[in-house]
Amino acid sequence: MRFRTARRVAVAAVALAVVLPVAACGGSSGPGGGGGGDDKTLTLWHMEQPPNRVEAFQKVIDAYNATNPEYKVKAQVQDWNQVYTKISSAVQSKTQPDILFTIPDFTTYVRPLGVVRPVTDLVKELDQEHTFVEAAKAAYHDDDQYWAVPLYGMVQMLWYRKDLFAKAGITEAPKTWSELLAAAKKLTTGKQHGIAVPAGKNLATDQVIYSLMLTGGAGNFFTPSGEVDFDKPQAVAALNLYAELLKLSPSDAGSYSWGEPQAAFNSGAAAMAIEKGQYLSPFEKESGRPASDLGCAPIPQADNGGQPGSIYYSNAAMVLSQDDARAKGAEDFLRFVLKPENYGAFLNAEPGLFLPLTADGATAPSWTDHEVIKKYRSCVDAMLEQSKTGALFGFVDGQYIDSIGKISGQNILAQVVQRVYSNGDSPAEAIKWGQQQMQEAVSR
Amino acid sequence: MSERSVLPGVRGAALHTRAAGRRRPWNRHLLGYALVAPLVLLMVGVIGYPLLNTVLLSLRDQGVVGSSSSFVGLDNYQRVLGDGEFWAAIGRSGVWLAGNLVVQTIIAFVTALLIGGNGRWARGARTWTLFPWVIPTVAVAVIWQWLTNSNYGIVPKVADAVGVHGLGSPFGDTALAMPALILMNSWHWFPLGAVVIYGAMRTIPGEIYEAARVDGASAWRMFWRITFPLLQPVLFALGLVGSLWSFNIVDSIYLVTKGGPVDATTTAPVFIYNKAFNEFRASDAAAVSVVTIVLLAALAFVYIRVARPKEDQ
Repeated sequence: MRFRTARRVAVAAVALAVVLPVAACGGSSGPGGGGGGDDKTLTLWHMEQPPNRVEAFQKVIDAYNATNPEYKVKAQVQDWNQVYTKISSAVQSKTQPDILFTIPDFTTYVRPLGVVRPVTDLVKELDQEHTFVEAAKAAYHDDDQYWAVPLYGMVQMLWYRKDLFAKAGITEAPKTWSELLAAAKKLTTGKQHGIAVPAGKNLATDQVIYSLMLTGGAGNFFTPSGEVDFDKPQAVAALNLYAELLKLSPSDAGSYSWGEPQAAFNSGAAAMAIEKGQYLSPFEKESGRPASDLGCAPIPQADNGGQPGSIYYSNAAMVLSQDDARAKGAEDFLRFVLKPENYGAFLNAEPGLFLPLTADGATAPSWTDHEVIKKYRSCVDAMLEQSKTGALFGFVDGQYIDSIGKISGQNILAQVVQRVYSNGDSPAEAIKWGQQQMQEAVSR
Repeated sequence: MSERSVLPGVRGAALHTRAAGRRRPWNRHLLGYALVAPLVLLMVGVIGYPLLNTVLLSLRDQGVVGSSSSFVGLDNYQRVLGDGEFWAAIGRSGVWLAGNLVVQTIIAFVTALLIGGNGRWARGARTWTLFPWVIPTVAVAVIWQWLTNSNYGIVPKVADAVGVHGLGSPFGDTALAMPALILMNSWHWFPLGAVVIYGAMRTIPGEIYEAARVDGASAWRMFWRITFPLLQPVLFALGLVGSLWSFNIVDSIYLVTKGGPVDATTTAPVFIYNKAFNEFRASDAAAVSVVTIVLLAALAFVYIRVARPKEDQ
């Protein structure tokens, strides 16, 4: 064996193995996907990866391209987990898409990159023509400008199994926290759990705990001057309730995200869940139960000082074209999508989950005639009603917290839940920790 | 039996001495340098430049990757070195590295011994042993999450059938998440070690074992006195490269736990990723990367000094 050669090879291997992965932090890598498109093609990035959504969006795009616009649209599907990196790289290499789908906190991330065009005139024009839900626009309004065109909304509800409620002798959906807890306890028998709520370090946990914070009066994390104001008794109470609900959830709720509570709910392993409208479409097939067994209700409110509410946010589209003609082309496409005759096909990419944001969209046959919307019309109406009291942290009551992405990006709310569930902290201690983390996140 | 196969190292040392005695002028190597130059330039481009960029970035105060920033000197390093969470992440990386090293080596060694036989099952196993290795990491993460899910996972179902009720996924438990991830990652990567060890074992001449058997050595004694020592150089290289790769793994951990619960699986690379892309502190992430490179290089240096096979072995 040639030991000196072996040693040199080993040293070289070490150097490579050490350096390669961390060198990627250099931030000067290529765009990694996407691009500006050719002269007459607009690139659109969206993050709706399920095949049915990709297909539905593509149909809308094909319909637009069939109108022979000057600029045709080409969609590229991205991953939410990677789009933060990709858009930074794309902007650095000037290959950003012309249209980028977004949510409010992602917009606060992209805007500092300096390529987002204000779309104020377009939003005002569309508002006049179609009448936007106020909450849908507000989260994209800052510095007297609109930075994205709202496209579809999402809101959480309390979902419950009417068949399991009937077996347990519960006749009505819980309206208050104490009723929710009592129902969950009564429904927990044998291998059945009263509710399935997530406690993984993810956005799903962030959103469910936030819905309960809203109905407990703790939805606003900031003072009017923008300072963090998370540590308050209402937040502790909401977390205390969540901890109690976790005790009545499946034992591995600590690793739950979006899919697991829904799987538990549909299989009958859990009788309740708090989530958005994606529960409608697959219910019959996955549960083997009739649609009439799926119940929905507003998020239960705190017994004292409670208020209606639920996490609600609109998904929107930013225009990143740096060329005026291309930007106009992008705006034309967004006008096309929001026309009532086209809007339904777009929303029904995920019927029941994607909610209309315009007055004429909510009554457009292109949306309402879909089988799922017709079948679960009462729940769909309940979601539209719930949307009116919906809110999103960082954007409550007209706020626009620039650094909110640092709080949501770190899943601080989910981490607060985990400190109670997995670490044994008291809710008060966990909320105090959350306050410190949020302060630190927004301070730099 | 030839001298070369029985006494590894002797021939290499002799060659080295001869080569040192008649060094050729540098221009005799010109063709060689010219041939490797494109590769060197490529490496400088794809590794050297990003690395330099990382060091420069660590001296600035950039938030979102690609946004404007200003020079802050060594402030980021001062903050990183005083950050308890960083050192905790380094500690967890140590656990992750040691756990993977031990578990993967044991499984790989056992597998290599099992597939080294000449039976029909051993021959067939040589193929399906590679199965976990060819599965994409994302699929491995999903498979293991499904296996352990309390609602539909086979592990809780089997446990329930044998009287262990209420078993849930270990990935949501602060005490079990790290061992479960180590097991998952080891299951994914052990075939690499198994194949390398198996290949190295095939190079050991059968005559040595024959001679040992004639001398009455037991199978266990032959393993410790022949197989293990002759595999040491391979195990050394495998341990070194494998450990460094394991240390830098982000995807397996992030896909399953995102570093949770309560940071129980936040290793140094996950910590760096979180800093850059969740906390949007690109310069902090770069500083942590540089410190981690230095620590990792030091660790590798110590490993080479301590564990490398001695020339007289």
